[in-house]
Amino acid sequence: MELANIESLLEDYFEGNTTLEQEAILRTYFANEEVADHLAPYKNLFAGLSAAKQEVSQRELKLPETTGSTRGVWYSIAASAAIVIFVAGFMFSNPGISQGEKDALMALNKTKETMLLFSDNLNKGTEPMFLLSENFTKGTDALVAINEIKLTADKLLK
Amino acid sequence: MEQKEFLDIILPVKDKLFRLARRLLVSTDEAEDAVQEVFLKLWKGKDNMEKYKNPEAFAMTMTKNYCLDRLKSKQASNLKIVHNNFHHTDNIERTIEGNEGVEMVLKLMETLPEKQRMIMQLRDVEQFEYAEISEMLEINETAIRVGLSRARKTIREQLIKQYNYGIS
Repeated sequence: MELANIESLLEDYFEGNTTLEQEAILRTYFANEEVADHLAPYKNLFAGLSAAKQEVSQRELKLPETTGSTRGVWYSIAASAAIVIFVAGFMFSNPGISQGEKDALMALNKTKETMLLFSDNLNKGTEPMFLLSENFTKGTDALVAINEIKLTADKLLK
Repeated sequence: MEQKEFLDIILPVKDKLFRLARRLLVSTDEAEDAVQEVFLKLWKGKDNMEKYKNPEAFAMTMTKNYCLDRLKSKQASNLKIVHNNFHHTDNIERTIEGNEGVEMVLKLMETLPEKQRMIMQLRDVEQFEYAEISEMLEINETAIRVGLSRARKTIREQLIKQYNYGIS
């Protein structure tokens, strides 16, 4: 390629008016030819741009092992298992009761015991009352009998 | 979509995504992280990916957005971009061995504004058509030509300066 052509292509290149094909011509020219001094900086430019394309990623790509759908199932199984374990643990170990709550529980139990004793004794107390009321009934029966005797006596005295 | 099918579509563009990320983030490590993140996102949204006509452009757009977000959050937390691993990658070192001018081009590209850097990367390194670059970067073609012209001229100016400094 003639030098004049290259220079006109370069002009277009710096204005952003070259096609990919024209840019390929420039790259090839500067990669292979011995160039005039005033074009020497462009040799570096095109060599540098080509070198930049040689760089590749060195790191292996890591993607999640399982696919999305099966992973979703495993997540829900794990979640339900976690809930079961949590609830069971709470029920069996009864964790997290503070000293204050323990005291309150003890007080409640004491109170229950006391009330039970009280109600037992109360039942004992009702038995004599029942006896008393029976005797009382006997007493009233006797009074009725006396009244009757009195009535008979009044009739006789008249 | 199965994993193999997904990889068949996406693996051929892996290096292109990596190079774009590398151009923007500069650090090789961060560029590798970016590619990994973008692939995970693509994998999660793989069912939508079938709807896109051009998975390559779609992946490129995602990489661009991810890297720009990274740069933004870095600026916000006042972290400096680490430049010290420029020599890390063996294969590029081999290619540019003994040629400081070539290395200079890549370093000069890093000084360009992000948009110009991406345009020059996609055009002059990856050799995409303007229409493709427009889709990837979500910028219209005219703006791409303008940005490209500016980027190329900046690099030329610096290269000529360096060259004249070298021979004088």
